Amino acid sequence: MVMACRVMNKRRHMGLQQLSSFAETGRTFLGPVKSSKFITDEECHESVLVSSTVRLLESLEMTSATGQLLNEAVQAQNDTYRTGATTLLFLAGAWSSAVEECLHLGVPIAIIVSVMSEALNSCSEEVVSLQVPVHNIFDHMGSTKAISELETVSVSLCPFLQDPSGASSVQEEHDHRDGVPQLTTYNLSRRPVKSPKFFQPDAKIEAGENTSQTLKNSLHTDTFRKSIFIHSRHFNRTDNNQGIHKPDRFQEQRGATTFQTYRCDDLAELAVGLSHGDHSSMKLVEEAVRLQYQNACMQQGNCGVPFVFDISRLFTCTLPGLPETFSCVCPGYIMLVSISCAALIKELQNQPIRVVLIEGDLTESYRHLGFNKSTNIKTVLDSVKLQEDSSEELWANHVLQLLIQFNVNLILVKGNVSEHLTEKCMHSKRLVVGSVNGHVIQAFAEATGAVQVAYITQVNEDCVGNGISVAFWRKPLDVVDRNNRIPVLLKTERINLITAVLASPVSAQMQTKEDRFWTCAYRIYHALKEEKVFLGGSAVEFLCLSHLQILAEQPLQKGDRACLGWLRDTSSWLASSLAIYRPTVLKCLANGWYKYLSVLLYNTASYSSELEASTFIQHHLQNAIGSGSPSSYILKEYSKLASGIFNSSISNKLEQFPRVYDVVTPKIEAWRRALDLVLLVLQTDSEIITGLGHVQINSQKLEGFLFL
Amino acid sequence: MLSRLEAKKPSLCYSEPLTTEKVRATLSVLKGILTSCYGPSGRLKQLHNGMGGAVCTTSQSAVLLRNLSVTHPILKILTTSVQNHVSCFSDCGLFTAILCCNLIENVQKTDLTVTTTIKLNTHLLNFCTNYLRSEVCGCRIPVDFSNTPILLCLVRSILTSKPACMLTRKEIDHISVLILRAFLLTIPENTEDPIILGKSIIVPLKGQRVTDSTVLPGVLIEVSEVQLMKILLVRKSSPLKVVLFSTSLSGDFSDPGEGNVVVSDGVFLENAVLDQLINLGRQLVSDRVELVLCQKVIHPSLKQFLTTHQVIAIDRVGVMLMEPLSKVTGAQPIGSLGSISPGSYGSVKDWCSAKFGCKHFFHLIPNEATVSSLLLCNRSDTAWDELKTYEEPGSILQDDGCTQAELQLIAEAFCSALESLAGSLEHDGGEILIDMKYGHFWSIQAGPSSVVNWTDLLSRCGCGVYSSQEELGWSFLRSTCHPFVPQTCLPHESWEVSPQSAHSLTLDCLTAKLSGLQVAVETANLILDLAYVIEDKS
Repeated sequence: MVMACRVMNKRRHMGLQQLSSFAETGRTFLGPVKSSKFITDEECHESVLVSSTVRLLESLEMTSATGQLLNEAVQAQNDTYRTGATTLLFLAGAWSSAVEECLHLGVPIAIIVSVMSEALNSCSEEVVSLQVPVHNIFDHMGSTKAISELETVSVSLCPFLQDPSGASSVQEEHDHRDGVPQLTTYNLSRRPVKSPKFFQPDAKIEAGENTSQTLKNSLHTDTFRKSIFIHSRHFNRTDNNQGIHKPDRFQEQRGATTFQTYRCDDLAELAVGLSHGDHSSMKLVEEAVRLQYQNACMQQGNCGVPFVFDISRLFTCTLPGLPETFSCVCPGYIMLVSISCAALIKELQNQPIRVVLIEGDLTESYRHLGFNKSTNIKTVLDSVKLQEDSSEELWANHVLQLLIQFNVNLILVKGNVSEHLTEKCMHSKRLVVGSVNGHVIQAFAEATGAVQVAYITQVNEDCVGNGISVAFWRKPLDVVDRNNRIPVLLKTERINLITAVLASPVSAQMQTKEDRFWTCAYRIYHALKEEKVFLGGSAVEFLCLSHLQILAEQPLQKGDRACLGWLRDTSSWLASSLAIYRPTVLKCLANGWYKYLSVLLYNTASYSSELEASTFIQHHLQNAIGSGSPSSYILKEYSKLASGIFNSSISNKLEQFPRVYDVVTPKIEAWRRALDLVLLVLQTDSEIITGLGHVQINSQKLEGFLFL
Repeated sequence: MLSRLEAKKPSLCYSEPLTTEKVRATLSVLKGILTSCYGPSGRLKQLHNGMGGAVCTTSQSAVLLRNLSVTHPILKILTTSVQNHVSCFSDCGLFTAILCCNLIENVQKTDLTVTTTIKLNTHLLNFCTNYLRSEVCGCRIPVDFSNTPILLCLVRSILTSKPACMLTRKEIDHISVLILRAFLLTIPENTEDPIILGKSIIVPLKGQRVTDSTVLPGVLIEVSEVQLMKILLVRKSSPLKVVLFSTSLSGDFSDPGEGNVVVSDGVFLENAVLDQLINLGRQLVSDRVELVLCQKVIHPSLKQFLTTHQVIAIDRVGVMLMEPLSKVTGAQPIGSLGSISPGSYGSVKDWCSAKFGCKHFFHLIPNEATVSSLLLCNRSDTAWDELKTYEEPGSILQDDGCTQAELQLIAEAFCSALESLAGSLEHDGGEILIDMKYGHFWSIQAGPSSVVNWTDLLSRCGCGVYSSQEELGWSFLRSTCHPFVPQTCLPHESWEVSPQSAHSLTLDCLTAKLSGLQVAVETANLILDLAYVIEDKS
């Protein structure tokens, strides 16, 4: 076996070039307005509609080593956090161009690596100032009455016509706020929410909160109005009039108050802030969190234990081909069963039934994992007696007998189910459901006291769960999906499962809709878990940009230990020449942020060209650096900045917009992963192809290969 | 059956394998690959099969040599001996390989006969080894376990030399401390001779942040959430009586070999085996065992039986954990389903459940903790695979060229081989200087060499012991220099006095380096001595 070895960077670094061109494909996914892509296979003429980085990379076949590393990094980010993949992809691209620029300018690799890596650390420390604590979200919800069965909030908004600022919700809110601050419902459907009571307690709190602020600022009523209604059209008018002529006191006051009010203790506000334009999905997630909270309260009585949002108890049920109005969140587990079971479900309705949970398959031939079946065992018949039934028939009869003995009417199976048995059970009014998610089975085990078993023969009285109710999710035969399946709701009194039903009239969008729902769910999950969020709308990235610019202009003190620490190998000559190259590298890294921001701005359709977007950034960048402290500049000017980034396209329609938030750790980890990937590729100087792969390198390409 | 016989092909025989151009070329390619990987700013290599297989990014000799599929026997000798060295010392692999390549290459340039060079090499090797072992050697730093900064430096030096780990300074510090703590935990409290070190088990946790890594005394066994829920139902008591099975309890029959087993109708083998398992369970229950650990699978029915009798049953522990588990509990692994002698039971102090990332663990807390679990997190697979632990007690050698530079002065014939090795630490086109007092390694930017005031340009020598304030004379490495005797190192006390400088020292393990030196020279001698290669073509 021979092995080939290729030197990667003869003049320009191939790996870095590949990275930046791969990243280019995900450019349009950045920001709240995402353009979908069609990926077509020229050979079999199949096409896929993708609108997220993860799905895009899944559909692309990236055979090159760098492509695979990129894919690996994006997958790892997605598996761990379920968000931040697009940021990772874009920054990986932007920074590989930045690194190429450094190489072009003759900066030694070791210096690029250490300066960039430490600069990103410094950025991560700097952006802590933009963190917003998320506390006591659930303190105000204790009084909320439990909502009755099936009372759900419907949401109807086409997912592909997302409005980045939450136009519809804000419109309504705006109407309310014109008067006294009162009931705030971020209601997305144009028709009223089924249960307005549901939102009542929050509204009260918000009102109460505002009152306290009124007290705080009672001396400056105008200022108060400003800090709250920054984007109300009245405010804008006054700002134009007063702000220019006598800006001093008011400006300062506003800056101070805005500074203090950055905290988030309302779930609705958090949800809107983290929705990033996808309000319909986020609405569902918010409902799911509320439902789970109420569930937890009911089970624990007085909510003594702090509530933790358990995302593993949240499920989706997709109904492709059905109108958007069916989308909702329900307590319990909704699954799709064949329409032929309709009669059986009708029978089982309105009575508590008993359940058995099976960990593996429910077939005659199934054996538990790790069991090796011997193939060479033969059974001989002693006497000539004709066997009437096959062994499967015997087995099915045995199972059925057991089910009758323990009076079990529902069998949830993690694996596959023998069709023969399913039919047999149906005749005796027992429902067998296969391919049930392990978490669902676990939740039913907890709620009903059932014990999961591997074989049905293990079942004894202790393993059977009690008190499950089965019902049609909607009126029978109202909802039938394309595969002739109907949604069925499983519930028990103590179940903490929540199912989000996602419907989409366009089947091709189903996957996208589901992905977006989960992205929103995980954003809320991380925010609640970490109890903090970032001020969003690119404030964080902007701070990094200005921070790096400032760092680049600061001269290095010779012999400064902290600076020497920037280099891995402090003894090398590189340490002494660090000061010369450092500003260049920092500026290149900052350029990556710059590119990120301008593409984001351009993508939100606020600006007709990237150049225009770039001018906007440049303007604020100069101000931020000039102010001496970029972080306080951002806090002060946040609403203006964010409106420039997120809102300007519709700002003439709506002067008001809710705050935008970002998740903390997933974001920072995405940056880190992006830079790690770029630096890993940068430090790679050759590609070694092992095994027989070299055979496929054709003779024209042989130049540049060395053989071992 | 008809079998086809083929006449054997005649074997091929090459003489003087080293003289052929092809061998020289491949040797120099290999050397190029290895040299560019060396040191903290070494370049990485992407290893893959060119057909969409997994990509491995590395600069470690162990990974590199494992994946290189070399064909020529000479290269095979070289890689195998380096791999052997690495498997024993897990350090200094690249040093060994590069030195060996350099020796072969340089000897070929001289006109000396093979036997003479081999004799000379051996002689010089002994000379070097003696010097490095002697007290006069300026590179040695004694190590004792009360001086943790030095030990930390060693760990940090090793971690820093692996750029593919993608660790930041903070992360390196964190991991270094963890590795050291894990190592110190393996030293038993009562120091009887001979000291038997415990074991650190690395538990992978990919996708998490590096700083989430941690060290826990005892053994962590990964279990599924479902299994953990069942375990939590069992009443807790401590200490627990433990039994450890290495045989499968899954209820299948041991392989009957070739041929068929004939069973008469009405006899169910599976049930018979299950009955046997349940009987075993009964014995365990009557012996008051509270924890059953099995390397392989336990039959679900047996598990159910044990759980209903308040016995915790954990299966699929894996072969890697068997030795530590046996060490921790004192239980003898049981390999058959027959009756169990009471002597094979062990005991454990306590247990608890733990969750890291999305994984659930059963945490076994032993009576005496010489076994610990190092939970190692990293963002990506690539970086995780690169992150490995290296622990080796004993004396430490200063590194980063300083040793090589010194050696070079002692052994004239070795000169260029060691010299270019020290030179290969530089990947960015800088120049290397050597001082005339201690013989240490200094790095400087390439350019006009007319600079007189070197003290201003240089700050610290490669290993971080000396700073440029001292009156030292410098000369370029590779230029002709007058032989001198390197001054003995600073007195022992100074290591303890200056923790500041200790923080930035670069250290190497002495035993690993010595062995590396030895392996390199001996392998080079062996390769030089090769006269014929005989290849069996059939």
